[in-house]
Amino acid sequence: MSSSDSSSSSSVDDPNPNPKPLDNQFESLNLEQESESTIIQNDDGEGQQDQESSLNGSLNVNRNNHEQDDRIDGGHVTSVLWRRTNSEVEVDGPSSPSSSGYAGERGSSGASEDDEIHEVANHGVIDGVFDSQAAWLPGKRHVDEDDASISWRKRKKHFFILSHSGKPIYSRYGDEHKLAGFSATLQAIISFVENGYMDELGDRIKLVRAGKHQVVFLVKGPIYLVCISCTEEPYESLRGQLELIYGQMILILTKAVNRCFEKNPKFDMTPLLGGTDVVFSSLIHSFSWNPATFLHAYTCLPLAYGTRQAAGAILQDVADSGVLFAILMCKHKVVSLVGAQKASLHPDDMLLLSNFIMSSESFRTSESFSPICLPRYNPVAFLYAYVHYLDVDTYLMLLTTSSDAFYHLKDCRIRIETVLLKSNVLSEVQRSMLDGGMHVEDLPGDLLPRSGSASHLGQHQQPTDSPGRFREPFVGIGGPAGLWHFIYRSIYLDQYVSSEFSAPINSPRQQKRLYRAYQKLYASMHDKGNGPHKTQFRRDENYVLLCWVTPDFELYTAFDPLADKGLAIKTCNRVCQWVKDVENEIFLLGASPFSW
Amino acid sequence: MPSRRRTLLKVIILGDSGVGKTSLMNQYVNKKFSNQYKATIGADFLTKEVQFEDRLFTLQIWDTAGQERFQSLGVAFYRGADCCVLVYDVNSMKSFDNLNNWREEFLIQASPSDPENFPFVVLGNKVDVDGGNSRVVSEKKARAWCASKGNIPYFETSAKEGINVEEAFQCIAKNALKSGEEEEIYLPDTIDVGTSSQPRSTGCEC
Repeated sequence: MSSSDSSSSSSVDDPNPNPKPLDNQFESLNLEQESESTIIQNDDGEGQQDQESSLNGSLNVNRNNHEQDDRIDGGHVTSVLWRRTNSEVEVDGPSSPSSSGYAGERGSSGASEDDEIHEVANHGVIDGVFDSQAAWLPGKRHVDEDDASISWRKRKKHFFILSHSGKPIYSRYGDEHKLAGFSATLQAIISFVENGYMDELGDRIKLVRAGKHQVVFLVKGPIYLVCISCTEEPYESLRGQLELIYGQMILILTKAVNRCFEKNPKFDMTPLLGGTDVVFSSLIHSFSWNPATFLHAYTCLPLAYGTRQAAGAILQDVADSGVLFAILMCKHKVVSLVGAQKASLHPDDMLLLSNFIMSSESFRTSESFSPICLPRYNPVAFLYAYVHYLDVDTYLMLLTTSSDAFYHLKDCRIRIETVLLKSNVLSEVQRSMLDGGMHVEDLPGDLLPRSGSASHLGQHQQPTDSPGRFREPFVGIGGPAGLWHFIYRSIYLDQYVSSEFSAPINSPRQQKRLYRAYQKLYASMHDKGNGPHKTQFRRDENYVLLCWVTPDFELYTAFDPLADKGLAIKTCNRVCQWVKDVENEIFLLGASPFSW
Repeated sequence: MPSRRRTLLKVIILGDSGVGKTSLMNQYVNKKFSNQYKATIGADFLTKEVQFEDRLFTLQIWDTAGQERFQSLGVAFYRGADCCVLVYDVNSMKSFDNLNNWREEFLIQASPSDPENFPFVVLGNKVDVDGGNSRVVSEKKARAWCASKGNIPYFETSAKEGINVEEAFQCIAKNALKSGEEEEIYLPDTIDVGTSSQPRSTGCEC
């Protein structure tokens, strides 16, 4: 049987909440689940049970399994094969359908996620000719389109913001004013549901499925947000993206806009958001490359413990002088941050703040003082952000409640900059940017002895490791046991670390596809209806995905689709050990304003 | 979000079924007329860009269904309207008598901040029918009603012949624009750090 129709997976719930070596869990589970049931069908007509098991938007039903960058693939799913299996399967092995195993799996472990529909003969397209992703350009594209344009209708993922009177506020593609009729239609749909069930007040439309498209709605008082997508992302992910877009709007304006709508429903918000297109388009772009958008965690730039401590010390110094938050970041990665007593910063706020600053060109050219709102901290009021770029990628943000603190913060910045320069923090930051983060090839271990066997992250502490290697983007060969990539999220730190991409996950398109797979995995692991789950093992023609969730961390790994399951499990344990070994360098530890 | 300021105006068209609301809109936006009657389901939406006194703005026209069974959609549909167009058929007394109901229903449901001065425009449509011989509502009568309701501008139109349609919508746009002038002032607060520290929910909300 060819790989395209040999989808198989099993999903497992471990009753033991204590994290123990992962292989124990799978061993116990293999004993319990030996049965296998397989369903093959040509359409999704029999998918009733699945749709029931995921009321708010199921996964994988009636979807072909790949995507193009921005366009709908011209081809249609003419024939699909749907296979369900209970355990990892050698597909040509003996099969013993068992209805009891089928039901048990559904009840305990969210098996609906494991159904995959595979378009027959689509694999050439996945890695092949369509793999040319143009570099992302900031700002809005395709402004000339409207809902009458064929090209507009073919876009894979639309985002809209509109007011409760149906006036357009933002559209990812096309001109908002030309889309006024479309926007009115969206409002009519939302209002129809709200009005149509007067005896059940509070009814809200959440999701409409139309063929391969999902229309996801989010109502935030007088602001309506809508996503129309055929990307096969789970409903929860799309709704999370709408929440972030709303948060980005709040970051720029605060919830004070609600009062304007209360007094005057025909209030037009667009002038208030003038010039912020680029902020939204950059956020939307990050949905396909930045795992922070679905992990709700932030990531740190790898740095020697002492270097990060030095940065934290000087930030703490200014925080004690009336600064609410002092954050030093390099691109989307945190170098260090401190908060005033009792003040805590949500990772989503950090994501939205750094997106706002990085996408607005004007912050780069001069020191700035800008009102911003942190939606998770306090959505109704402004803070003031002093922002200054220390070098091309590294920027300092000092947040205060005082609108006349500019000169004080400027003095703080000068002090901080002096200390950072003296203690070489800035040069270490640049060096870390060049060296990159964790590479799966460097995974230490005894199974596959590797030359040098780097047992920790810091390449600069190992001058024998050629630094040149890390500047070459496509040299990676994958890690032991077919390990291609991993993300480790520390739950109590609210931080994650993601390995650098290596072969064969080289192109932005492949990376985006992997993130989408992780995102789906994340949604299924956090599914409130069926979850929470502890482990999940999935194999399809693209990857083996192995996910492990404990009270302390979540690990998402991707392997070669032919990887051995036992070896993959062992490798996951080694990844966890590795992360623990280098946690001083990859995480911001202690003095964290995030926890407790 | 356009950088240069453009105004979007929401215009609601109301009136009994069959008086020609959709035809008027089609004549205005698409310069087309069809003799075929096709009832509007719920509402139709069209947009038209208009130049007025050197300003460019967009009319978002909500063509609603006249049938009573769609009345429940009112609140949501009328919310935030900048202008309301009341249409009747000069050949139907009932459609004229109902203008009062449409106007009151609109004011109740949309509850505009200043109902006395909310901009309405009244259109007496189908003046072309039968060379005016089947007409039952006189212009005088219509104008008297408009005057009694706070001098509502009045136009006699024919969607079929395109008579007065452009003029009527120019007036609609002008009045909608006027009502949109007094905009709410957006006045956000600044955090008072003494009271603002909110306990952050721990763990994962997702």
